[in-house]
Amino acid sequence: MEFILGQFIFIFTIVLLLSYLMLGTYSAISLNKYFKKNSFVNYNQLVLSPLSPNVTIIAPAYNEGKTIVDNVRTLLSLYYNQFEVIIVNDGSTDDSLQKVIEAYSLVRVNYFFDYQMPCERIRAVYRSENPSYSRLTVIDKVNGGKSDSLNAGINVSRSNLIVTIDTDSIIENESLLRLVKPFLEEKEKKVIGTGGVIRIVNSCEVVRGHIKKVNLPKAFLPRLQVLEYTRAFLLGRMAWSQLDGLMLISGAMGMFDKETVIKAGGYSTKTVGEDMELVLRMRRYMNENKQKYEVTYIPDPLCWTEAPSDVKTLARQRSRWTRGLIQSLYTHRKMFLNPRYKVLGMMSFPYWLFFEWLAPLLALAGFIYTGYLIYNNMMNWPFYLLLFAFVYSVALMLSTWSILYEEITFHKYRHKRDVVKLFLTAMIEPFFYPFHTYFALKGNIDVIFNKKGWGKQQRKGFGQKTKKK
Amino acid sequence: MISINKKYQLVTVLLASFIIMIMPVNCLYSQTQNNDTNIIKSVSIVESIDNQSDESLINNGSVDTTQENPWLWEVNYFGKSFYLVNALMVVIVASIAIMFVLLALILLNRSRLERESKLRQFLLEKYQSLILDYLFVGSGIEGFYKIASNSFRRQVLIDTIIDISINLKGESGYKLQQLYIDLQLDKDSLAKAKSKKWHVKVKGFKELAFMNLKEGNDEILSALQSKNDILRMEAQIALVRLSEENPFEWLYFQTHPFSLWEQITLHSMLIQHEIKVPLFSQWLDSPNYTVVMFALRMIREYNQTDNEDAIFEVLHHEREEVRQLAVEVCGDLELASSLKILKSRYKYEIYPIKIEIIRSMAKVPRESMLGFLKLVLDKEDDVQLQIESTKAIENLGDAGIRELNKLMDSEYKNYQIIIRHVLDKRIV
Repeated sequence: MEFILGQFIFIFTIVLLLSYLMLGTYSAISLNKYFKKNSFVNYNQLVLSPLSPNVTIIAPAYNEGKTIVDNVRTLLSLYYNQFEVIIVNDGSTDDSLQKVIEAYSLVRVNYFFDYQMPCERIRAVYRSENPSYSRLTVIDKVNGGKSDSLNAGINVSRSNLIVTIDTDSIIENESLLRLVKPFLEEKEKKVIGTGGVIRIVNSCEVVRGHIKKVNLPKAFLPRLQVLEYTRAFLLGRMAWSQLDGLMLISGAMGMFDKETVIKAGGYSTKTVGEDMELVLRMRRYMNENKQKYEVTYIPDPLCWTEAPSDVKTLARQRSRWTRGLIQSLYTHRKMFLNPRYKVLGMMSFPYWLFFEWLAPLLALAGFIYTGYLIYNNMMNWPFYLLLFAFVYSVALMLSTWSILYEEITFHKYRHKRDVVKLFLTAMIEPFFYPFHTYFALKGNIDVIFNKKGWGKQQRKGFGQKTKKK
Repeated sequence: MISINKKYQLVTVLLASFIIMIMPVNCLYSQTQNNDTNIIKSVSIVESIDNQSDESLINNGSVDTTQENPWLWEVNYFGKSFYLVNALMVVIVASIAIMFVLLALILLNRSRLERESKLRQFLLEKYQSLILDYLFVGSGIEGFYKIASNSFRRQVLIDTIIDISINLKGESGYKLQQLYIDLQLDKDSLAKAKSKKWHVKVKGFKELAFMNLKEGNDEILSALQSKNDILRMEAQIALVRLSEENPFEWLYFQTHPFSLWEQITLHSMLIQHEIKVPLFSQWLDSPNYTVVMFALRMIREYNQTDNEDAIFEVLHHEREEVRQLAVEVCGDLELASSLKILKSRYKYEIYPIKIEIIRSMAKVPRESMLGFLKLVLDKEDDVQLQIESTKAIENLGDAGIRELNKLMDSEYKNYQIIIRHVLDKRIV
């Protein structure tokens, strides 16, 4: 039994590392293709063109009083011609709504709703009397969660393309131009969704909702997440997009074809991982209806989000991610190893199942097994150290690889010392893995005990936190 | 982007070199094991330890060190562990080496970018002043030769000339083109247009088109039917700029789908360079439906209403998206004669086209449509259709408003919420 367990963990690790290497290689191909293709692009023509499609930005807000006014301003000043912004106040208990009403001269209008997507009762719709804010609509509704708010926003939106964002994120000025391009390039295959890179705002200089200076986070935990995000977005999702197996467009920002979203049933209110669940459902809908489609991914930074800077908040976030993952995978378990869903069913789904959900659980089994061997004085220390060196060196190599991608794609961290800091973080990161295992385990336990909701979110507000004095 | 490509190539070469480098090390490792001199012993020895007596091993003269060797104990644990340990060590060494190579690449790339950025800034300022002197003071071209000494510097010069040429017309534009030729930069662009790499080719096409040089037209023509979307699009754009007679002739032979992105790019160029606009109705019967859609969009943008019948024909097109766009165009161009056809087509159309028909009727308000619009409002259950038809009725002016007021009091159906929504001018 011990032998089988040891061998299983070992083979599992090898396959996991091999799959990372494969994803890294595919990502390199995809990045190369993307940058060659887009080096000639003039995005400005989209701003001026009357042929550009209309886009609706939907931003759910719950108790975002500290940042909402600045964030709405950022949204309204995005670089695009034809767009509307819908803020959905999800029954906030703070002064979010009042602040927006005052800041943007909003008044209640006689709006008639078409509840295409089921959602909690909409109490009122506000529009501005100031023509400068004619793009803005604010919905006030009974609290129903993020998915419910997004569905309410879809009901009010007037465009064929919708962009869903987190209100607490800072959106890059050109993000709409970049997100809309894959939809415009659509030919035989219908583009149903596009995602991009989300970056971490901690320690950056933010003035009135705009990034003025990019800095590497000073604190260790956010810096660790910079590394994680770079690996996930540039090594992982870029490769899955190339393989046509992308399962997740980050909830922080993504653009979708509204018609497909509605036909697929909109956002599910039964999961906390609504972003992954929606992509899976849309893909499933298209597959089952035998329609040609694609979910694209662009390696451009779209928005900046605040990463948890203390262990408690990080634990809550990761536990929620695990819950969302399990719920999404369980809901769409039919796709697992089902050739009907092609790469999605045969590769992506098993990857997420084994390496994103089960890997931390197996790591836990590994920790227990290690403890057992040590306790019974059965540990083969030389081989243990060899294995550790093996996993550690490959992990460090992969992290360095992702730092290289960051370097050749965005080159956002300008100082040489930032590279050194990132590399040092990568060296420490593997020792943080037991914490990740704990967070994932917590997520699994929460699923068993049917925990609901997002948990308490602590936002410090960008301006106060990051503005240089 | 060429630099990124080079970087990938460099990584590949370095990785390949490293793999070649570690192969002999690995072989050497196996050989030493065969000679029983290394502390890490092969599986065969391990098995022999299991199968032979200590005595026989001592006789072989190879065991004293191996029996106490910790690696051997581990070897037993995994069975085939010689290969395993060997492989693990190779991976460890390889990973560390790759990591250092990647780190070196990152730092080298940083230094290169900083260096290039400073040089580019310096060259930009220098070139701009030289070009302005050439254009307006009448200086010679000798000054350019001194600093445009390698391909990077020549590329910066090409980029600068193109940037300046965007804002220049007439005599100055012609002089700038002459400067381009005198400095033989056209040969650089032509060489790019003839390159086998598509992204270099595209750069060449762009440069030739910007400078209005026709030397690369053969290359451009041959790229028109390329399977590579970007190359094909850039060839089309270049040809529209460089052809004097019929710049859009290629639309007749366009067999590949013509994406909205390509259409936007082409339209932007038409506006930017004031190119003579053809009558787009000539492509309304194209077998390529994307060309038909482009023609419809251009007809709308340039308000080409002289061939209404051709537009009405498209209302019967087999593809839904084309029909929908045709309906939209009829509304945008306010083609009153289309209303009758739109009304007759309504019941046969799919939902999005029905919506578009009602919207078009709102754009071309005619009292003769009031009865039909009231019928839609009355009979359709869909909220969006009800809202659109109410808007269309409201657009009819006094007659429409009167009708809406009557409907507000209707006991038959509750229209109040919809009418209030439509009449609230704060809702766009």
